[in-house]
Amino acid sequence: MKKITAYITTIFLTFCFAACVEEDEFNNSPTGNFDALWSIIDQRYCFFEHGRQQFGLDWNEVYHKYRPMTEQEISERELFDLMGDMLRELRDGHVNLTSEYGTTFYWDWKLNYPINFSDSIQRNYLGHDFGMNSGIKYSTLMPDSIAYTYLGSFESGFSNGNLTALLMGLKHCKGLIIDIRNNGGGQLTAAEDLASHFTKEKIHCGYIQHKTGTGHNDFSSPEPLYLEPGQGAIWLRPIVVLTNRGVFSSANYFVMLMRELPHVTILGDKTGGGAGLPFNSTLPNGWGVRFSACPILDKNGVITEFGIEPDTLVHITSDDWNNGRDTMIESARGIIKSFYDKKSEEN
Amino acid sequence: MKKNSLPKFILLVIAIVVAVASQAQSLHADSINPYRVVVRSSQHGISLLNNLDTYLSGYNHTGTGYTFTHETLRKAHFGSYDFKYQTLLHATLGYTNLHDNNQYSLMAGRRWSGYHPFRVNDRLELLAGAQVLLSGGALYVPTNGNNLVSLKMHLAVAGTAMAIYHLPLARNHCTLRYQIDIPLAGLLFSPEFGQSYYEIFGLEDYGGTLCFSHPVNTPSWRHTLSADIPIGNSTIRVSYVADLYQTKVNNLRTHLYNHSFSVGFVRTIYKVKHNDPLNAYNPF
Repeated sequence: MKKITAYITTIFLTFCFAACVEEDEFNNSPTGNFDALWSIIDQRYCFFEHGRQQFGLDWNEVYHKYRPMTEQEISERELFDLMGDMLRELRDGHVNLTSEYGTTFYWDWKLNYPINFSDSIQRNYLGHDFGMNSGIKYSTLMPDSIAYTYLGSFESGFSNGNLTALLMGLKHCKGLIIDIRNNGGGQLTAAEDLASHFTKEKIHCGYIQHKTGTGHNDFSSPEPLYLEPGQGAIWLRPIVVLTNRGVFSSANYFVMLMRELPHVTILGDKTGGGAGLPFNSTLPNGWGVRFSACPILDKNGVITEFGIEPDTLVHITSDDWNNGRDTMIESARGIIKSFYDKKSEEN
Repeated sequence: MKKNSLPKFILLVIAIVVAVASQAQSLHADSINPYRVVVRSSQHGISLLNNLDTYLSGYNHTGTGYTFTHETLRKAHFGSYDFKYQTLLHATLGYTNLHDNNQYSLMAGRRWSGYHPFRVNDRLELLAGAQVLLSGGALYVPTNGNNLVSLKMHLAVAGTAMAIYHLPLARNHCTLRYQIDIPLAGLLFSPEFGQSYYEIFGLEDYGGTLCFSHPVNTPSWRHTLSADIPIGNSTIRVSYVADLYQTKVNNLRTHLYNHSFSVGFVRTIYKVKHNDPLNAYNPF
């Protein structure tokens, strides 16, 4: 019996000494939820150093600015608004707080700048009989025989078959305008898939990093990003990509890829940025937080979080706006025409 | 030992253990013992889950799940050495949440164990041995963006022990069993702290995703308490399993606590080679 007792004791001791893997948890109170949100961002957000350089971001100062307000009596709704205000200090469109009260956003990356796009004016170019394939609207601008395509989102992916059919349908055109104005992003891989149909060589386009620890500067070594040729049709004639400040996230990444191609011109306004791959996490009260976690850098190692400058800066003029004319599309037509003019002169 | 040679060494050890186990099976087929009694049990049960995965969320998600377990236990030989051989398959489909944040999980494992028996008396038998375990699965949070899934994969050599007690019950007996499995060394898949699966699988940057696991960074246990109760001509197995899987790697913390209560039938299969039932051997 003594032996049995010894065996059972051993088994129980094994249970008792079992080390538990836990995470420091904050309590579900206004201060607890505030501290949890601040800590998640403090440990996992990836653009602190970039924010410090660009506009003097100091996350500890932000804590001391907002934390005292949570120590007073505060309603859930007020707490949600307060935490939304705190997150806006990061000036990052990828940072949101989500709850039953809605989602907080930072919109200044777009709203502080000219809109440079009108779907009413766009109708004058697309016409009424435009085609649509994989979310891409397309038509042919005459008499120049230039293809105009519009893509408002990268939320849906593309198949090689669809893109090949689209490009083969436009093979009679001399050049291609890819209008991604107001494209707020979507899937990174969709941007890569589309761009892959415009190169026949593997091209180094940038880098991606990720955080390896909780420190603000704990990053992995940059992993190169390459654009590889897609399967099916490859378009190598002149391309103009139209951009405005509404081009964000995956669309910003698409511009980063396309600007490395020799036959592509980026035209319009600076893009809106959003160069961090967002992750999500949770607060003790169940509210969700989204934040930039993995920085994407261009080929020169520059973070494009605050946008990419176009090769040719063009805004829609007031006159053109009033006359239903899109200055950017007209400039793009001019660039493609001048390419062929130069070519014919050389010949 | 060089850091990068350690995974190869572990794989070699696992390969040897698996080879010995398979050799044991083939030797058994040629052995002079004409009978093999295999005890098989399939069980279905409910699980109480408590999941923490800081890659997805820093908070415990609790909920329930469905568990399936299939076990075989039999006597085996390696030359003249007798031992007991157990295979175990377990899988749990779970649903957990924190307020309105839902997580779905599917975890499965396969274990191959060899035991050296120590008979204490007529009723109590103790067994100790080694185990190769392969477990894996995924946690899925539909509302997350680029970190919506946390994949799990663990290949390890574990220490395992078992105590079997035959409790007299009317004209028959009830078999009580306790088993503990503790992973000792192996290989573990984990993304780095803020690494996306796009980077791992899309760009094939596997970097530090394959980690050496040991009891300090993977303090995990699987405790099994079961009772085989004879009812009429059948035997019913009722069991409680505390599967406590924990990892602390790449600055990420995970615990998957699965307390499952299962019930199922036990089948004792006599594999007869010759008509000599006296040589039948019951692994219990």
